Amino acid sequence: MFGDAATTQGEFIDEAFTLLMVMAIPIFTFVVTMIGYVVFKFRAKSGDLEDAAPIRTHTNWVGFWFAWTTILCLVVIVHPGYTGLIELRQTKADEPDLTVNVTGRRWQWIYEYDGRGVSLFSKDEMLILPNDSLIRFNVTSEDQDVVHSFWIPAFRMKIDAVPGLMTYYDVITTETGHFNDDVNFRVQCAELCGRDHSLMFTRIEVVEPAEFEQWIADKAG
Amino acid sequence: MPLVRGAIYAAIGFVIGAGISLGITNMTGEDAQEPLIVLGYVFAVIGWLMGVGMWKAWGRNWFGKSTDLNPSGGWERYLRFNIDHKVIGIQYITSLVVVFLLAGILAMLMRAELADSGQNVFTKTTYNTTMSLHGIMMVAVAVATVMGGFSNFVLPLMIGAEDVAFPRINALSFWVIPPVVVLLLLSPLFGGFDTGWTAYPPLSTQTPVGGLLFELAFLTFGISSILGGMNFIATIITQRAPGMTWGRLPIFVWSVLAASIISLTATQWVAYGLLMIIFERIFNMVFFSPPGGNALLYQHVFWFYSHPAVYIMILPAFGAELEIISHFSRKPLFAYRWVVRAFALIVALSFVVWAHHLFTSGMGESLHGPFMILTELISIPTGIVFLSALGTLWRSKLRLKVPLLFALGVVFNFTIGGLTGIFLADVATDIALQDTYFVVAHFHYTIMGGEIFAIFAAGYYWFPKITGRMYNETLGRIHFGLMFILYNITFLAMFIPGTVGMNRRVAEYPPEFESMNLIVSIAAFGLGLSFLPWIYNMLNSWIRGKKAPDNPWDATTLEWQTTSPPPLENFDEFPVVTGDPYGYGDETVTHARFGKPAHSAPAEGD
Repeated sequence: MFGDAATTQGEFIDEAFTLLMVMAIPIFTFVVTMIGYVVFKFRAKSGDLEDAAPIRTHTNWVGFWFAWTTILCLVVIVHPGYTGLIELRQTKADEPDLTVNVTGRRWQWIYEYDGRGVSLFSKDEMLILPNDSLIRFNVTSEDQDVVHSFWIPAFRMKIDAVPGLMTYYDVITTETGHFNDDVNFRVQCAELCGRDHSLMFTRIEVVEPAEFEQWIADKAG
Repeated sequence: MPLVRGAIYAAIGFVIGAGISLGITNMTGEDAQEPLIVLGYVFAVIGWLMGVGMWKAWGRNWFGKSTDLNPSGGWERYLRFNIDHKVIGIQYITSLVVVFLLAGILAMLMRAELADSGQNVFTKTTYNTTMSLHGIMMVAVAVATVMGGFSNFVLPLMIGAEDVAFPRINALSFWVIPPVVVLLLLSPLFGGFDTGWTAYPPLSTQTPVGGLLFELAFLTFGISSILGGMNFIATIITQRAPGMTWGRLPIFVWSVLAASIISLTATQWVAYGLLMIIFERIFNMVFFSPPGGNALLYQHVFWFYSHPAVYIMILPAFGAELEIISHFSRKPLFAYRWVVRAFALIVALSFVVWAHHLFTSGMGESLHGPFMILTELISIPTGIVFLSALGTLWRSKLRLKVPLLFALGVVFNFTIGGLTGIFLADVATDIALQDTYFVVAHFHYTIMGGEIFAIFAAGYYWFPKITGRMYNETLGRIHFGLMFILYNITFLAMFIPGTVGMNRRVAEYPPEFESMNLIVSIAAFGLGLSFLPWIYNMLNSWIRGKKAPDNPWDATTLEWQTTSPPPLENFDEFPVVTGDPYGYGDETVTHARFGKPAHSAPAEGD
């Protein structure tokens, strides 16, 4: 995908995207070439009312077609399919460096830095996150609210914020960045939630861990 | 005038229903407005149906009185409850063309809003309503134009039947469509609905009355689909001409059978889901809204229908595409039996892939793997459809007429639609791409590039049979060229915002994505204009076109062996099927011979 991914999960997803693209382009080219070739080559001349030779099927071609579509399908299931599931789950049992509890409320996000005594209630505040850290987002939506989706484009990850349900995802950050330099450093609601859905976003800055500790200490103090 | 009578009876029905509802809510002390609308609507639909002719043609029967079916007559037979499948087919097609054009205008308005990043054409809420209306109207067009329209007209002809199995239920399936359209068009006047056509609760239980109108409309449309699906299944099983064995069915008939099975069974799920939302609204019952309800439950119920629904759209599109490719290639359909097996496999798989819409919903992670694998397996039977198309084209004698151009367009577009589907079936890439413009571009490639192009292919192909006149080939080519090119620019460009971080269903977006959206918008306006030659061609040819011969394409299937347009009960002489329908270049195969005059022999299937 375009733009740099700022997490290890995001890097995997970008590589998977590129790989699928590399596999898709030859198939697309093959179909387009076939269409172009048959139109060019087998077009009936005007006034030619003959029928073509009645070829009804061809066992070897059907078998070959089955074989290669099945093989391609299995390849994609294993990688990036199965490997992707493992990649996304690999941090599940680990203790995160930082846990952020996220709550959706029409039309803003509320953040609580778990155990750090800092919460962000205002839509205008930036969500500051440390680089090189395993961050876990626990996501939900307020009880009388609606379904939202907690998406950070630069991290490539999203999960729905559902009232009455706690969801989560983990990321390992790999890049610093600021919303002003890259618009994908933002939390964007990705599930239609009514009037101000498009404006339900928070600006993000990812800073070095030391700087983060400084910031959160100031904020808590 | 049945339409006026229908409207009057509907108004009377509404007053009766609303009155009953007011009486009840007065007793229970509940909020009166929404129950009043629901009950009033139910009675209004009954009044409407009776008024447009269902009472005369059917209702009197229930009270032991004689009925008047009278399917013939002049143009006014299109404006009342009519049991002739050909009339119903034309009613479906013309109504849905109007819906298609309205929904297309909504799309133009959306692209005007999205041409720059700020808020200009709409307020926030009206944009969401516009987007939602565009969605549900186009879904209706994609579900019902081929299934309700073209297959209603041609399927009984193709199997050598006089009509469908249940002609009165067939008419009923159509006549509940006008209330759907009226409700959808009224919805913006009652606050609209900003839920998208997916209507996820709790949001959809909290919308203004406009949302309730949408939910009622969707539910009514579902009833039409269920009845239609049932009717086609019964028709294909029981109404085939003598000798029309399963192995001799045209591939389009197989595709409609496959789609009908989904239509009959899956649609009931979304009907329950919508009914439960309506019950939440009017009876304060708790199904989906926390506390007490489960918001994810609806998403499962909804997609258990709505994923199979895309196969209700695409299977008949594949059927029409392959049908046209075979006839215009002058060559038997390649690997016919494998295509039938592929359709069966697609139907089976369509029921077990729904949760791929929910990879980011917070459902159990243990479901991710199985649903990813099952979804990706669909590429194998879909590949067979491509094999059949390309195999038929190979060493053919191609007649490059407009229907074939559109059928080739389906092959081209669906290749992109199918391949981009893999990105969304894969859990890792889907987590990034879900709810972005990548998804929007993808489903426009499958539904518009597949189904809508197939509708145009079918429309040009069967135009001479339906109207008895020829369309203008040059204008048809211009339409195809413009539509194909501008369509591809619009939707190829639409993948880009999705991959750089623009989510869907937004009126405003970061200004960084402005230039790529402007390109999409400009191409989309061009795409909108490309339908003008088509509209002119269809209207002008229907009125003034030159008379069509019975079989302008020199095709083998039965619908071309009768007059254009066909007589009331389809065949002057009764067909007996003697061979498969694709006997091109094979003198030993004749699809059918015509013997005894119709009506002297009883219609029997085998």
